[in-house]
Amino acid sequence: MEKETHQSSQVLSDISEINLREQLLVPNSHHLDGYMKMKSFTPARLGLWRCGPRYKTQSILRFRADHAAAQDSVFSYVDPDLIKAMQFIAIQTRCRSKDEYLTRPDLGRRFSTEYAEKIKKHITHPPKIQLVVGDGLSSAAIVANIKDVIPSIKQGLNHYGLDCTQHIFVKYCRVGVMDQIGEMTDADVVCMLIGERPGLATAQSMSAYIAYRPTMGMPEMRRTVVSNIHAQGIPPVEAGAYISELLYKMLRYKKSGLDLKAVENTD
Amino acid sequence: MESVVLSVGIDIGTSTTQLILSRLTIQNKASFFSVPNIVIAKKEMIYQSDIIFTPLSQGYQIDYAAIARFVGQQYMLAGVSKQSIGVGAIMITGETARKENADRVVQTLSQDAGDFVVTTAGPDLEGILAAKGSGAGKVSLERKVPIINLDIGGGTTNLAALDGDQVLDTACFDIGGRLIKVDPMTLQISYIAPKIQQLIHQLNLNLFEGTILRSTEPLNPILDVFVQVLENSIGIGERTRFFDLLVTNHCFTRRDTDRIRSISFSGGVADCMMQSENRQPFVYGDIGLLLGKRLRHSKIYRYKQVVTPQETIRATVVGAGSYSITVSGSTIAYTPDALPVRNVPMIKLTIEPMNGNALGLADQIKSGLEIFRTHGELTNVALYIVGLKSPSFNQLQHCAREIVSGAHALLDQNLPLIVITEEDIAKALGHSLFYNLPQNYSYICIDRINANHGDYIDIGTPVPHTTVLPVSVKTLLFSN
Repeated sequence: MEKETHQSSQVLSDISEINLREQLLVPNSHHLDGYMKMKSFTPARLGLWRCGPRYKTQSILRFRADHAAAQDSVFSYVDPDLIKAMQFIAIQTRCRSKDEYLTRPDLGRRFSTEYAEKIKKHITHPPKIQLVVGDGLSSAAIVANIKDVIPSIKQGLNHYGLDCTQHIFVKYCRVGVMDQIGEMTDADVVCMLIGERPGLATAQSMSAYIAYRPTMGMPEMRRTVVSNIHAQGIPPVEAGAYISELLYKMLRYKKSGLDLKAVENTD
Repeated sequence: MESVVLSVGIDIGTSTTQLILSRLTIQNKASFFSVPNIVIAKKEMIYQSDIIFTPLSQGYQIDYAAIARFVGQQYMLAGVSKQSIGVGAIMITGETARKENADRVVQTLSQDAGDFVVTTAGPDLEGILAAKGSGAGKVSLERKVPIINLDIGGGTTNLAALDGDQVLDTACFDIGGRLIKVDPMTLQISYIAPKIQQLIHQLNLNLFEGTILRSTEPLNPILDVFVQVLENSIGIGERTRFFDLLVTNHCFTRRDTDRIRSISFSGGVADCMMQSENRQPFVYGDIGLLLGKRLRHSKIYRYKQVVTPQETIRATVVGAGSYSITVSGSTIAYTPDALPVRNVPMIKLTIEPMNGNALGLADQIKSGLEIFRTHGELTNVALYIVGLKSPSFNQLQHCAREIVSGAHALLDQNLPLIVITEEDIAKALGHSLFYNLPQNYSYICIDRINANHGDYIDIGTPVPHTTVLPVSVKTLLFSN
């Protein structure tokens, strides 16, 4: 393993910089090409090798680093400067801390009247499309993707002769918040971009939950979901373009979720 | 979302013409929670025609009326109407491709045979389609090993090395079962192909058209050369001095094809290889059976792992019917008026990872387009862009501006802008192009296409009930 010796000869400041798909720790493998090809199909940690019955030190360190990154993305906050730069209307749910956010999902789905006033002050007319950005379970996902997704959605909407302005940012956000925002703003379509629960493969995955005229307590089947938005999954700009088409379709059919699928299939 | 499309494959070969129909099931493989991923999920052959002799008139023209009649008859027998044929490919191969009306015949037939039936030609593509049609591609995909298929027909042997979906290399040799024809009754040689006459001369053999063969022995030196060249072609043994003589256009260009262990045979001679060795050797009026028998005992069986194919003599036509059409990515952008597109050459443009803003792309496009200018006029050219792996929004804008500025010559002639990418980015890129193009300008932007510089592409109208476009990429990569 020429590559490995090369790596050990110099200082590596961050172990997670190594692309796991390109790293094979099995010494003298019989069929290197086949192994590497198999690894290229999956983010799973294949070919870690072992020391006696245990993982190698490197594998354990990497596992812990990835786990730490996942935890960090849950417990960290979206940089206030980013929120300002993107000119989001910043609000917060009824949760007062990350601990409360994690233990009380119900509080993460509603916000108080104080923030309702703030939204009303900024959004005076019922918008056709209301974008909402939520930290969710991964602030890292928002930081990584939002600057590419939103302009791509807007460019896509321009293609359909539509637009969206005045985006809302929600701290301690759960998906259900979009229903309350929908009722309040009287928007035709609400699109929520929210950080997904991080895993060991990536902590930067984001989802879009989109619904036509969402209402509090509505069935989940009315939401259309686009998941796995990140650089190694659905590229954020391509996801934005696809979301813009979904928004256009929802306005056209006045439907979302399974209902939208159903009309599309008969169309 | 599921759609069934009927596909036709027609192979007009040196000696025979055949047709198959297959049913392609196009399905969304992604879960409800993701962006659609629409693929051809199933390919089933539902009809195969008899194998007829290619109808010729006056020897130097293809009898179009007879071919059209044959196609119409087969549709009737299969119980399908022309209108129900969604996609397909016509392959014109070997000698027939050189007939003076070959071009016109395939063009007309492709219009007449169905909605989006493409035309294909060339020994490289023939080898690739035969390898896929024989089932070798499937074996490679399932076992995750590379494979070489040798399609040994009447006039040529077309080789293709595949690794799953990917074509590694192709080669072609003038080795086939009908290069020498022998009357089964009189045992008299009725025909020797020109190149084989050269070979006979160089071998100092006493064989002519008219020679009566009392045994098969006089043919042995020729068969030995055939077998040896085929062994050589996949890396077995020292190259014989006749190797270069029998190369049609080129042998494998990559050295590492020698290391590929899995081999399969298709074509008429592969059929012969599986038949009893006690048959009268000239029952088909040629040397196919003898060549098959020789190959059966060749070093290929000793040094390589020979895989039994699903299709032998029909490999090429199955390849044309089932494997010449793919679908684009599911999230794409286009203006409907730009479709369909037929036989457009592609220029490949690579954006290096360090050059996220695609600097210089416009100049690359400009100079790439100039090659296609004849008498001051441009015909349309598709821009095939690779390296757009999850660009930022700003990078994408730069790229779109570079493309539109580079394609000025196409815009001047009001030709639809065709942009094709490898990575899943076409919808976003298409929207950016739309933003940068003049109002109402026709364009097509599709992704998830594997192609090479100089390939030709056909793009059809959307597959019903899906968001994908049928696409046929016709590779000319390995030809000189």
